[in-house]
Amino acid sequence: MRWFGFGFNAFGQIHVGEKLIKGECSDAAEEVKVFSPAELDCCSCCRVKTGCHIRASWSRRACLHLDGDSCVCLCGVSVKDSRGCKDASVSESHLTLAFSDRIESWDLQKEEKTPSWSMGITTESSGPSLNLPLVPGGYIATKPPFYRSLSPHLKAKSLALSAEHAVLLSASGAVYTWGLGSHGQLGHGGLTPEEEPRAVEALWGMPMSCVATGGWHSVCISDGGDLYVWGWNESGQLGLPSRGLRKALQQQRSQQAGATCQDARTSPAEESQEGEKNEEVFISIQAFPALLDITPSCEIRTVSCGSRHTAAVTTTGDLYTWGWGDYGQLGHQTLISSDEPQRVEFFSEQHMRVVDVVCGAWNTFAAVVKEEVA
Amino acid sequence: MAMLWSRISAALPLNEEQFPLQFNDKVESSVLETLKRSRHQLYSNTTSASRMLNAQIILDFSWEKLNTGTWRHVDKEWRRVYSYGCLFKVAALCREEPSADEVLQALKTCDMGLLMGAAIMDNILQVIVQILQSEVRESTKEEDESEHAQVKRIKIECPHVPVIKEELAVPRIKCPSLESFNTNYLLPLKPVILEGIIDHWPALNEHPWSIEYLRSVAGCRTVPVEVGTRYTDEEWSQTLLTVNGFIDRYILNKDEAAVGYLAQHQLFDQIPELKEDIRLPDYCCLGDGDEDDITVNAWFGPGGTVSPLHQDPQQNFLAQVIGSKYIRLYSPEDTDKLYPHQSQLLHNTSQVEVENPDTERFPEFAKAPYLECVLQPGEVLFIPVQHWHYIRSLELSFSVSFWWS
Repeated sequence: MRWFGFGFNAFGQIHVGEKLIKGECSDAAEEVKVFSPAELDCCSCCRVKTGCHIRASWSRRACLHLDGDSCVCLCGVSVKDSRGCKDASVSESHLTLAFSDRIESWDLQKEEKTPSWSMGITTESSGPSLNLPLVPGGYIATKPPFYRSLSPHLKAKSLALSAEHAVLLSASGAVYTWGLGSHGQLGHGGLTPEEEPRAVEALWGMPMSCVATGGWHSVCISDGGDLYVWGWNESGQLGLPSRGLRKALQQQRSQQAGATCQDARTSPAEESQEGEKNEEVFISIQAFPALLDITPSCEIRTVSCGSRHTAAVTTTGDLYTWGWGDYGQLGHQTLISSDEPQRVEFFSEQHMRVVDVVCGAWNTFAAVVKEEVA
Repeated sequence: MAMLWSRISAALPLNEEQFPLQFNDKVESSVLETLKRSRHQLYSNTTSASRMLNAQIILDFSWEKLNTGTWRHVDKEWRRVYSYGCLFKVAALCREEPSADEVLQALKTCDMGLLMGAAIMDNILQVIVQILQSEVRESTKEEDESEHAQVKRIKIECPHVPVIKEELAVPRIKCPSLESFNTNYLLPLKPVILEGIIDHWPALNEHPWSIEYLRSVAGCRTVPVEVGTRYTDEEWSQTLLTVNGFIDRYILNKDEAAVGYLAQHQLFDQIPELKEDIRLPDYCCLGDGDEDDITVNAWFGPGGTVSPLHQDPQQNFLAQVIGSKYIRLYSPEDTDKLYPHQSQLLHNTSQVEVENPDTERFPEFAKAPYLECVLQPGEVLFIPVQHWHYIRSLELSFSVSFWWS
C-alpha cells in the first residue's frame, strides 16, 4: 500500500522539495500547493510502507506504524517516545498517543522530555480497540479539559471532532452530534448549539457505518454505502450548488490571478450561463442531512473531510473530492474549488485502486494499491 | 506609481528587527513561523508571487479562526493575525508598479482588515488606506472632470408620504435645554423629535452630504451591504461592496429589483473624513456610559428600505441627514400585543409586518397604541431604550444613529 498526498505543503507535509528545509516554511508556489498527487516520502523508521496510518493537521502529517514495533513518525521522522503506541492523533499544537495503559499528549511547540498531559487507562481485552479520540469512558478533546466523559448508553464506536462540533457513531449505527451549530453542522434542522449528544433524528432507522467532520460540515456513510452531508456549503464542501462558490469563481476569473491554473474541463461558456443559473437553488447552509449522489452506481466505502473540502472513496476504488480547492487539495491538477463531486483521475489513469483517504485541514492523503488486472 | 511604494514603506518599520510580531500562545508556532516568513519577505528580495502566497496563507488560516465559534468569542489575537495578513498582502500588491486594479485590490484588502481584523501597529491599515485613497483620487481626477457632464441623475422619486394623524404624531421640540430633555423625555422614556440640534453639522453645512460627496470621500472603500427587503426574510443576505458599487447598483440603477441597504455599519470608524462631518449630540452626556462606548452607525440606502419592528438595549438618537423616513413607535408596555419571535436570535424583533399586518395571525396588534412620524433632514428622533420602532425610507436616505446608555 502506498500513500499519495496533494494540497497544502508549506511545511513539507507531502513532500520535501529541494528548496524546502524540513520544518521550515517554503515560499515557492509549486512547493506550497501540490495540485497533482505526489507519493509520500518514506518514513525513516521503515523501508516498506505497509500498515501505515496517516494522521494530519494543518501543518503536520503523522504516520502511525502498527506492524511490529509500533511507532509514530512526524513528517518522516520517528517520534522516540511513541514506541509501542496503539493509536495517535495530531492537532496543530499536540501529538496525542494512546498506549494500552495510558494516553499522552505532547506539546509539539516545545521540546520537552515529558508529555504536557497524560492519564492512565484500563483497556479491557474484550473491549473495542482504541480509536482516538475515543478512549475508555469518554474521549480526548482538542482543547482543555482534554478528557471528557461519554455516557455508556451511547455505545460510542467512532467519533469525529472539529474545532466547533462533534459527530459520534454508536455501535447500533445511530449518529449523535453536539457543539456549536451556527452553520447547521449538527444536523438537527436549526442553528442552535447542543451541549449534550443529541441523536440526528433525520437518520434514525438508517444504520451508519462511518462519520467524519470538516471545519463546519459533517458527513456520514450508511451501511448501504450512501453518503449524507450537512452543514456549511460556502465552498461547495457539501457537494450541493453553492452561490458563494460561483461568485468567487467569477471574481477569480475577472482578476486573472497569476497563480490560478486554468482547469481544462471548465468551459468558458459556464461564465455566461446567468440565465440558466438563476433558476438553480443554491444552498449555503444545509441544516438537515441530505443524501448526496456522487456517482450513480457506486457505494461509498470511506470518507474524510478537511476544513472546507470532502473526499470519498468508493467500493470500486475511485476517489472523489469536492469543496475548497485553492491549495490543490481536490487533486484535479487545478486550484479551483468545486461544488460537484469529481473523480480524481490521477489514480484511475495510473490503474491505482484507492483504498483509504485521510484529510488534513487543507490537503488530502490517499492510500492506493495496484489495480488487479481482471 | 513608484511614489506609492515609497509612501507605504515610509509608514512601515525601518527593518525586520523593528517590525513587531507579538502574540499570545493561542497563536500556534506554525502560524507564527508563517508570519515571520512574510515579515522577512517584506524586507528582502523575493518574488511578488511568493509574497502574495504567504500573505494568503495567513489570511486563509485566520479567516477560519474568525469563523469559528461566535464572533463575540473570537480571540482578538486571530483578528490581529488577520490584519497582519492584510498588511502583508497590501505590501505585496503595491511593491512593484501596481496597476490601477491592484491599487483597488489593496484598498479592499485594507478595508477587510479594518472591518474584520483588530488594530495593529498603531492602526497602520488606516494609515495605508489613506495613502491608497489619495493615490486613487490623484489618478482619477482627470477622468472625473471630463465625465462631470455625464453625471447620472437619480430618478426623482416622488415618495408616497404617509399622512400622519395629529393625535398619533410624535411630539416635537426645538433645541430643548439638557434639563428639560432629561425631565420631560429621557427619565420618563418618552419619544420626541428634537429640531434644530444638528443644524451646525458640517454634513448639513460646509460639506453637505450627497451622492457625489460620498463618492468623492469614500467611493472606493469597501462596506457591508444588506441585500433583501428585511432582515427577517429568507432571501436576506449580506455582502461587501465598494461605496461606488453600492450606489451604482442599489441607488441609481432602478432596474435592480432587490433592495440594498448600507445598514448598521460603523462607517465613521472606517472613514474618518465622514466622522468629521457629524457631532455627538450633547444630550448623550445625560447618560451613565462613557463617550467611548457610544456606538455610531450609518444607515444609507434608497427609498423602500425597511427595518422591521424591533427593540434595542440602548437609548437611540436617530439623526436624519438626507431624505425622509416613515417611523412608527410602540411602547415596551405593549410588547404582549407585538408578537416577538420566540427564537433567541430574533427575540427582539416582532413577527408583524407593521404596514401590512396579518390580522388573523396577529389579532392583538391592531389594539396596540403607537406614535408615528415622517423624519426629515435636520431632525433627530429620540427612541428610548427598549422602545419598539419600525422604519421605512421614503426616498434616498442617510441617517446616523447614536446608541448610548
